[in-house]
Amino acid sequence: MTWEKGENPLSKDWFCRWRSSVLLESLLYDQPTSKVDSWLRTTGGAVTLLVCLQLVTGLLLAFYYVPSAETAHTTVAYVEKVAPAGSWIRALHHYGSQWLTVALVLHIAQSLWRRSYRRRPVGWWVSIALLVMVLAEGATGYSLPWDVRAMFATRITEGIAGGLPLVGRAARQWVLGGSIISPVTLARFFALHALLLPFLILLSSFIRFIFAGLQKRQSESAGTGPDWIRTQFARNVIAAGVVFLALALYAVKYYAPLGPPVSAADADYLPRPGPQFLWLFQLLKLVPGSAASLVATAFPTVVLLSLAALPFLNPQGGAKAVGWRAQTAPILLSLVLVAVAALTAAAYLIDARDPQIRTQLELQSQQEREFREQPFQPLQTNTDNEPNDDTSTSVSPAPTTSPVASPGPVNAQPVVASAAGPPNAYLENCAACHGMKGEGTSLFPKLKNVTRKPRRSVEDLIGIMNDPKAYGLRPPMKSYADKLTDQEKTDIANWITALSITSHGKQASGR
Amino acid sequence: MLLLPFGVLAGIAGTMVTAAFRFLRPLSGSTTAAARWVDIGPLSKLKGDKPLLKRLITEQQTGWATSREEHFVYVLPGKDNTVLSCVCPHEGCNVSWSEGQDGFICPCHDSFFAADGSRVKGPARRGLDPLPTREQNGVLQVQYVSFVNNTEQREVLE
Repeated sequence: MTWEKGENPLSKDWFCRWRSSVLLESLLYDQPTSKVDSWLRTTGGAVTLLVCLQLVTGLLLAFYYVPSAETAHTTVAYVEKVAPAGSWIRALHHYGSQWLTVALVLHIAQSLWRRSYRRRPVGWWVSIALLVMVLAEGATGYSLPWDVRAMFATRITEGIAGGLPLVGRAARQWVLGGSIISPVTLARFFALHALLLPFLILLSSFIRFIFAGLQKRQSESAGTGPDWIRTQFARNVIAAGVVFLALALYAVKYYAPLGPPVSAADADYLPRPGPQFLWLFQLLKLVPGSAASLVATAFPTVVLLSLAALPFLNPQGGAKAVGWRAQTAPILLSLVLVAVAALTAAAYLIDARDPQIRTQLELQSQQEREFREQPFQPLQTNTDNEPNDDTSTSVSPAPTTSPVASPGPVNAQPVVASAAGPPNAYLENCAACHGMKGEGTSLFPKLKNVTRKPRRSVEDLIGIMNDPKAYGLRPPMKSYADKLTDQEKTDIANWITALSITSHGKQASGR
Repeated sequence: MLLLPFGVLAGIAGTMVTAAFRFLRPLSGSTTAAARWVDIGPLSKLKGDKPLLKRLITEQQTGWATSREEHFVYVLPGKDNTVLSCVCPHEGCNVSWSEGQDGFICPCHDSFFAADGSRVKGPARRGLDPLPTREQNGVLQVQYVSFVNNTEQREVLE
């Protein structure tokens, strides 16, 4: 550490220096030297705009979104398909979060380049804290639509938390609110995403602007009342306007992704994180599984902590700093940025080159498109009243696409199956997870149409009940070998098969 | 000099306010299911002089949810199978048939209606509301409609 006597960064003197002696220096260093320079320094305006936009669009989405496992997907689908301007607002929110990450990284790089962390340590720390919180918003936000994509995002958060050394078990349970992904998890993610993190973001922005305001007042009282500050404000606003226009047009052109509900999930679904996390995704391919969580958390932590420590490590900053020490931080950050960019590019390229992956990803976006084109399926509330018969409107289209087609809660019950009804053994052992009519629940797969998959004959279904692992099924599906009699297993398997045939009579007859 | 930046800010705010207004405005006509014909029962079973109490389930979609609502109506087999809504046109309690008084009594504010639904005694300002009906394959069907409370003229509630 290189500060001289009286320069201890933790002393009040140092912390307040920007209020006195640094002021003049700040005016000297912060005044843009050229037109290009002054436009490069408008990242702050873009960040401010995008933060405000996230708050506004998030608030609007909350007018329809209901964070429960039953309603989450339906309400998001309503915003996408029915509410006027809904898909635009959701796309603004979705892509805005990605743009905000980029804008923050640029802002941090730009502050580092000008070494403004020395003159304005508070602003510097706030930028870093914002980056952390914006990434956390992204991670929690991906889970909220409760579609297939969300399911995997949640599972990966779960995996990373669970793999942490020492605290892994506890961290995983704290994140999930239990030992499995459940409606409690969704409520937790929503509370973090919509209440805690926005509060912290607002708080830190508030702190930053209070400090900036103090500085401005002092510069005015010092009589330097610089014109360039006003000009720079105008430039920031114009930059923000350009970013807004670009994002608004982008959101008109591209939809925010929304897949079919979780109960329709396919076994070969290939999850991919949002672009702001692709580098991490790629990084985890390179490290052994045992170290994955450590790398995923330690690498960003080390980078961010060393950035946050810069005002202490390099207090001489500014023009006075010479030699390698003055250059270390920019060089290191550039290396990190290059690494992140390279990892992101690699993730894209590898996916694009592997024909199998590409086909699967194309299939998935095809499924998302199909789901988007299906009419909105409202959620049936108070279903204990007797149902009307004429509500059966959902017809699964396109036999070419695997069984992901049925939207929303399944209303259309096949006549024969509902007349026969599930066997009692099914109701007692299976219905809790797979639904009273095999329609699945928000967390567990539906059984209807399961026979359209390979290895799902009546014998196979009995085999699955005896030994799910042998069929590649994962917990929580457990063996029912000695919980059901052979007759009960046969009844259940027959009923599940009948369920699939009656709901797809024409196609099934060809099998 | 500051005109341009404030113009930009106003543009952004204006765009978002417009979008917010469109997004949050309640969709009218979303209760489409209200106009559906609901079965009351086969004509052969609607017999006798006394009003028959029937339960209807209507399904309505509001926003992202469809909800089923329970309504009650009186069928008057003696009067051409007129169907009267049970909802008192005063403040919306359910009226009930009184055998002894040969009329409908509202238990809330003591309005009284004759056996054909016409108003006998206030505070209700009009008689019980008849609902549109039709016959289809020997079955009586009704369209459940709600009316504005406490007016002299019937107005369908939008």
